[in-house]
This record gives sequence, C-alpha cells and structure tokens, in this order.
Amino acid sequence: MQQAGGGSETEVTWEDQQNINKFGRLNNRYHELEDEIRIAKNFEDASNELILTDEEVVRFQIGEVFAHVPKDEVEMRIEQMTETTTKHLEKLKDEKDAVVAQMADLKKVLYAKFKDSINLEED
Amino acid sequence: MATSASPQQPGGAVVAERRGIPAASFVEDVQIYLNQLGLDVNSTLAFLQERLQQYKVVEMKLLAQQRDLQAKIPDIEKCLDVVATLQAKKGTGEALLTDFEASEGIYSRARVEDIDSVCLWLGANVMLEYSCEEATSLLRKNLENAKASLEVLIADLQFLRDQVTITQVTIARVYNWDVHQRRVRQALASQDS
Repeated sequence: MQQAGGGSETEVTWEDQQNINKFGRLNNRYHELEDEIRIAKNFEDASNELILTDEEVVRFQIGEVFAHVPKDEVEMRIEQMTETTTKHLEKLKDEKDAVVAQMADLKKVLYAKFKDSINLEED
Repeated sequence: MATSASPQQPGGAVVAERRGIPAASFVEDVQIYLNQLGLDVNSTLAFLQERLQQYKVVEMKLLAQQRDLQAKIPDIEKCLDVVATLQAKKGTGEALLTDFEASEGIYSRARVEDIDSVCLWLGANVMLEYSCEEATSLLRKNLENAKASLEVLIADLQFLRDQVTITQVTIARVYNWDVHQRRVRQALASQDS
C-alpha cells in the first residue's frame, strides 16, 4: 500500500499515522465484506431452485444428515432462512457502503497532505 | 531498544504490547529515533524489516486460528439445529426418517424413534450421552465461547495490522530521510568544490 517517496520532507504526525492505520483497517474490512456478500448471494440462488420441485417429501439437510421433511415444512424453513439471509445481506451491503465512504474521505485527507508520497490504490 | 513515543490510544492509555505482540513505536522525528537506537541507517532498516517479518509470522498464525474458529461456529450451529429438530419431533410421536452418509458417497436410511438423549462428540475420541436439554445448553455455551474467542482474535489481528502499517511507514520514512540526507550532503559537497 505504501511506497517509498523520492526523499520528500513531509513530516508524518501521529494523527497521520492513525489515519493511515484506519485506512488499512477499512480496506481489510472492505475485502472481508465483499467475500461475505459473495457467499450470502450463493445461498439465495440455491434456495430459489427448491421452489421448483414437486415431490411430496423433501430430504432437507440439517447438520450432516438429510431428514425427510414434508414439503410444506421445508418451504416454511427455506422462507425463514431466505429472510434471515436477505436481512444479513442488506446489513453487509450497508456496512460496505459506509466503509467505502469513509475510505474516500480518508483518501482525500491523506492525498491532500502527502500528494505523491503515498499510494492508497489497490495493486 | 527504541524508547521514543509509544503508540497512544484514544483514551491516552499507552499500549506497549498486546498478548505477546510488541507494539511498534511511532517515530516523531527520524533523526532523534536514529540517535536513540544508536544504529546507522542500514542497520535500522534491517531491524525494522526483521520486525515486519516477525509480525507477518504472527499474522499467519492468527489468521489460521481465525479460519478454524470461523469453521467451528457454523458446525456448532448445525448441531444445535439437529438437537432442536429431534426435540421438536419428540412431541409428535412420529419417527424421523433421515438419510445419512454411512461412508463416502454411500448413504443409508435411518428411522429415529422417540429419543430423550443425544450423544455429543467432545473430541479426543470421547463421546458422551446427554439429555436434549443438557446437550442444547452445552452446545450453546460452546457457541458463545467460540464467538467470544473470535472477537478477541479479530481485535488482536487489527492491532497487529496497525503495528505492521506503522512499521512499514517508519521504514519508508527512514529510507526517505536517508535519501534526503545524501542529497543534502551531495549539494554541500558540490558547493565546496
């Protein structure tokens, strides 16, 4: 993330260091959120498939085993799980937006002080 | 060892290290830092690089622990789910039909009648029988412990990453300072000659 500047004189204060640290933390959190969102999205796709089946009894996976569960109960469970996952996904997306906004602010502050001496872009 | 300003927390408390991870001291002035260390630029850079490597090693270890915990938590949640399902079936009087994996790729059907107890695998080749209620409370406790450990671990990782960032910035500043010094010396030398 940081690269050595060309012998510039700009002093780095403790506040600058804290801003840089905060940017690093936000960047990490951003990547973690992207991964989590990707995983949550997969689950949504999987549950959509199930609605298309027409058998009476469905083998529903609970833990490591597949329990024979009547289709109605399965539909109810899937609905609950989808709702939970959608809410979770919403929360993740909101957090991601907040993180992106904070990173943009920090970029402005840090680039203003350090200009070319600092690199805050992805490799 | 460097005795320059230690990292300040927002509350003003000074953190010298966290659970065995030494904090990276923030350098206010490069010249003073070098004087305090009593080393020349190259040795200082080598020392800082070595510190960075040590941090990376600890980071790998913590990341592995985090992955383990993150796998364990859904497992415990699945177990809780199974016990809850068994408990729910208990009242109805019907048996539960399940397909389970008897061996890799081979599934068998089981008919689970009314049960009052479950067996929990505790690790180290030990399995104990518990009533449904006891099993649920044990699993819940394990889940809470795992989640608490994960939180502490994540905080450790954040602290560690901050120290890595501080060290990287310090390395860049020492290097820049050195480049700047050389330029100043060269300028003076060319002035004299």
